[in-house]
Amino acid sequence: MLQPDTIQHSAHPVLSVTDLKTHFFTDAGVIKAVNGVTLSVNEGETLAIVGESGSGKSVTGLTVMRLLARTTAKVVGGSIHFHGRDNVSTDLLALSEKAMSRIRGHDIAMIFQDPMSSLNPVFTVGDQVGEPLRVHKGLNKREARLQAIELLRQVGISSPEKRVDAYPHELSGGMRQRVMIAVALACDPRLLIADEPTTALDVTIQAQIIDLLRKLQQERRMAMVFVTHDLKLVKQIADRVAVMYASQVVEEGPVDEVLANPRHPYTRALLDCIPSRRDGSGNRRSLQPIPGTMPNPLSPPAGCRFHARCSYALPACIVSEPELQATDGKHVTRCIRWQEIAP
Amino acid sequence: MMLAENSEVQPVDQRPLVSVTGLSKQFPVRGNSWGAPAQAVRAVEDVDLTVAPGEVLGVVGESGSGKSTVGRLLLRLVEPSAGKVIFDGQDLGDLGPDELRKFRRHMQMIFQDPFASLNARMTVGDALMEPLKLHRQQRGRAAEDEAVALLEKVGLSADHFKRYPRAFSGGQRQRIAIARALASSPRFIVADEPVSALDVSVQAEVLNLMQNLQQELGLALLFISHDLSVVEVITDRVMVLYLGRVMEVARTEELYDNPAHPYTAALLQAAPGYAGESRQILGGEIPSPIAPPSGCVFRTRCPFALAECAQTVPALREVRPGHYKACIRDDIAL
Repeated sequence: MLQPDTIQHSAHPVLSVTDLKTHFFTDAGVIKAVNGVTLSVNEGETLAIVGESGSGKSVTGLTVMRLLARTTAKVVGGSIHFHGRDNVSTDLLALSEKAMSRIRGHDIAMIFQDPMSSLNPVFTVGDQVGEPLRVHKGLNKREARLQAIELLRQVGISSPEKRVDAYPHELSGGMRQRVMIAVALACDPRLLIADEPTTALDVTIQAQIIDLLRKLQQERRMAMVFVTHDLKLVKQIADRVAVMYASQVVEEGPVDEVLANPRHPYTRALLDCIPSRRDGSGNRRSLQPIPGTMPNPLSPPAGCRFHARCSYALPACIVSEPELQATDGKHVTRCIRWQEIAP
Repeated sequence: MMLAENSEVQPVDQRPLVSVTGLSKQFPVRGNSWGAPAQAVRAVEDVDLTVAPGEVLGVVGESGSGKSTVGRLLLRLVEPSAGKVIFDGQDLGDLGPDELRKFRRHMQMIFQDPFASLNARMTVGDALMEPLKLHRQQRGRAAEDEAVALLEKVGLSADHFKRYPRAFSGGQRQRIAIARALASSPRFIVADEPVSALDVSVQAEVLNLMQNLQQELGLALLFISHDLSVVEVITDRVMVLYLGRVMEVARTEELYDNPAHPYTAALLQAAPGYAGESRQILGGEIPSPIAPPSGCVFRTRCPFALAECAQTVPALREVRPGHYKACIRDDIAL
């Protein structure tokens, strides 16, 4: 899955997740939220993980950050390799909590959907943007404040010298998300995980934030994992896309290729659900909902997890779980009939 | 009233079911003991609109545009500060509390969050029979049969009658909310972001359902949403709001193909599905509705603003048949 054209500075992906399994042990049973996910992201590249509620897309991101509560969530299989600036590959799952906290916020950073609940209401913006700099880089308070002002300027906050002393409640939703981005980028991380960062924002503000993220990512040649439910956004932000359904990646490949030429029935069905502009003749396009509902995470179906809702399903699909197969060098799909799924 | 004469926005030859003139709402903001003065949030300012029988009017705008308040004002769930709402010849302002309650059988509402809008302690059957008793005087067996018929109408079944809302997914709950809104046989429904909380595959189902029911029952619908692609699919006409004021109104195809107001054009370009070539991203953010800008409220973010735009509030005027905009400039290419 390595792409020679995107690898210029490093021979390794910044992040490679292999056969990851994150399970939640609840009173009702075991929820296999992430079950055999393999992904990688290169330097300067954006991978979008797209899926509906309960597909496991957010849990994948949180597992990489090791932010899940250890009392209920357990990683029962797989590995997460992070390739740092020092050219050393580290298995994040093998690190002690202390070692992980040195990486978190320094080499790998994360931003979330709701900036109000991610920011601490009793500290100023400057305190919070400066905190990773004091913790990881050992800057003193004055230095951290100066850097925070510079970071706020880079994320497009006007009069940062004033805003640095503002509290989160004094800012709008869009401004707060810019502050979160400044916090995340403070230590110049190699990898940014963005979990639905624009979902709570208005469209015009969403467009601003997407633009900002792309600009910052290109300037810093950061790797980015962008978790979203919105296939339309994927086209604007990502180079590659992984489509998740019921705890697994069902299709992955370059964005233009996957969206124009989907090779998994779920991806196709998802694209048909999107309300979009009328066709050329001015007729309204009718929406094609996906029949049935998401499988119960406590008892996922045998065989292909999508078979009960799939118009291509064969008896064989109920029997055994399909493997990810390559349709060409960069595009993979978990469907035995991919060749028949016409573009 | 900023409307020029004879510029009533409505399809030709059809008496509107709902007709609104000069509608405004200010929410008072109390001062406090640290000296903050009493102020008012100007949520809706001088809105005129009509909805024809069987018509779907979309209301789009960002947070703070006043779109939800317009919906609530239309049903008189909040009292207007100024303006009139006339429903089928009846001025809602003339109705007393009891009359209004009875009148509500004609106008219902569907909310965004189906987890909050259904009573968790009431079975689905009871929730559906309540409006049947209240508005249609149906009791016992007849009410039960009617409630089951409503469930079937929205794609659920008699098996669901005795269950509680917690047994249902978001999409199913929204179906129940739709059934409940239909129980009183209304002629007009305000749907406030009815599919925004749903996943795309479920959203498509609920949208199809709403569209089918609307056509089958000849319902008039006010469809409030921030999602332009959803609005395009379901509406006949669209009204664009910004800071409580109407920016543009037109038939849906016309608005999406030929937006005449700079704000509408910017909204269309900001939408993630936008396929056009030049994409201009609007800077800045929506100003405070406590102190909206003078003149045109959009001027502070408008790439085409002139000095005059700060002087007077632009009137909503017809630029093409049935297409109205509140912008003084006709010399701009959008």
